[in-house]
Amino acid sequence: MNATAVNAARSHPPRFPARRHLTNAAPPAIALLAGILAWEVVARAWGVVFFPPFSAVVVRLAELTAGGRILSSLVGTLTNLVIGFTIAAVFGVGIGMLMGAYRKVEMALDIYVYAMLTAPSLVFAPIFFAIFGLSRASILGVVIIYSIFIIIVNTVAAIRSVPIALVEMGRSYCASERQLFMKIILPAALPLIFAGLRLGIGRAVKGTINGEMFITAVGLGAVVISAGRRFDAAAVLAVLLVIIIIALVAVKIVQIVDARMTGWLPSTARQQRTRRGGGA
Amino acid sequence: MIEISGLAKTFPAKGKDEPVDALKDVNLTIQDGEFLTILGPSGCGKTTLLRMIAGLMDWDDGEISVDGKPVRGPGPERAMVFQSFALLPWATIRDNVAFGLELRGVSKAKRNARADELIDLVGLRGFETRLPGQLSGGMQQRVGLARALAVDPQILLMDEPFGALDEQTRRLLQEELLQIWEATRKTVIFITHSMEEAVLLGDRVALMSPRPGRIVELVPVPLPRPRASAVDAIEGSAEFAKITASLWRQLREMQLFRRHSAQGRHAPSEPAA
Repeated sequence: MNATAVNAARSHPPRFPARRHLTNAAPPAIALLAGILAWEVVARAWGVVFFPPFSAVVVRLAELTAGGRILSSLVGTLTNLVIGFTIAAVFGVGIGMLMGAYRKVEMALDIYVYAMLTAPSLVFAPIFFAIFGLSRASILGVVIIYSIFIIIVNTVAAIRSVPIALVEMGRSYCASERQLFMKIILPAALPLIFAGLRLGIGRAVKGTINGEMFITAVGLGAVVISAGRRFDAAAVLAVLLVIIIIALVAVKIVQIVDARMTGWLPSTARQQRTRRGGGA
Repeated sequence: MIEISGLAKTFPAKGKDEPVDALKDVNLTIQDGEFLTILGPSGCGKTTLLRMIAGLMDWDDGEISVDGKPVRGPGPERAMVFQSFALLPWATIRDNVAFGLELRGVSKAKRNARADELIDLVGLRGFETRLPGQLSGGMQQRVGLARALAVDPQILLMDEPFGALDEQTRRLLQEELLQIWEATRKTVIFITHSMEEAVLLGDRVALMSPRPGRIVELVPVPLPRPRASAVDAIEGSAEFAKITASLWRQLREMQLFRRHSAQGRHAPSEPAA
């Protein structure tokens, strides 16, 4: 019995930072490998034309990349994503702050924001097409519609969550309205604003691809469409892999900026916020 | 000198609740350099009164003036210490202490030098670059006190500053506050619900009763100063025991009265003891 106790203690060594890093990296790596393996096995066993195995998709991706198709499309797609998301972030955070700060603005806009948040964003694609035609503006419109409302909703919540005690403290030390905003409200709201931006960037990637697929066949969306027309399932999935990688990288960039700007947040609060933000 | 006359405030009815007379005809004069403690049961309006003196809250009737000038909002001659500490969680201890000076546009070099002076005074040297979350409650309130002192106010407004701390930390901070006050002699208005704290710190204790909040008695505390070095002797003295006992009698009566009237009965006309 003593031996088992000792073994149990050994199997939970003190969690040194380096070790924790390793153990934290292991579960996602194992899950990823398992997923790829399952994909490969199921696709080979099933043998359906429209579900090629992972290896075939990778080969097709390599061909497309070598042919220059992916890279040239990538530039267009990333341009749409960056411009669209930047506009959505600037206006989303701005509108959200006004709604968070002024009750009347929130009362006026609340219904629109929640209506648009729940509405399927793609239905607006034809409207943008009608207004802007086959131009980049149509795609940007879709990107913004996809991402701006979740950013607004989170920014409103962020401003609301600023502790009243801090604002009162600022007032008692004779802060001007501008100082209250810049030195207390904005920094205090930043963590939740970033939670909104993280959700927003994911939606912006979706919006970019959908816009490129359904409005003007450009960028990666166009590659997907043309591959689909040729029933080239491997190419469709190959582009999908690229899109997923773009989304993950984009989210990571937002996370890095977030961590730099809100590094003061204790790690437990950071986890809670991620969960809360993810549920919104 | 702070003069408060005829101060009254009624919180309007909300839904089914009756309107609440938070304060009624509060009159109080606080001399320069005086340490006044305000003692009362919870809900007696003592924090409301302090927030009004701080200029953070409006009142319906009456007047508050500081050195003859009516209070219309927060002012640089008053600084507040909060029960919840109210520190900026993203700013270092140094930046927190310097915050009041930063708002006043004092240059970074000057305000940091001043902040370090006060960090030293409250015994936090070596913690300048830490964040508030890395400090204990007692240390956080030391930061709150240093921040208030940094702007060199005439008047310190302290809203149950030690209320959120454990007993041991609170006693240490009481001694430190006495030391600092005895060295600087600022006017202090200190809210508390502890009789011992009120008597140990104050030159006078203003006893407040609830609904409507008003000052029922001003009890002078003739204990000798400086007290910082003689806390144990003071707390063991007959005078200290006598004052806290009489304060407790009155507080108990208020609580009993409240319970009786809540039950629809009349309060005993004679004090029980």
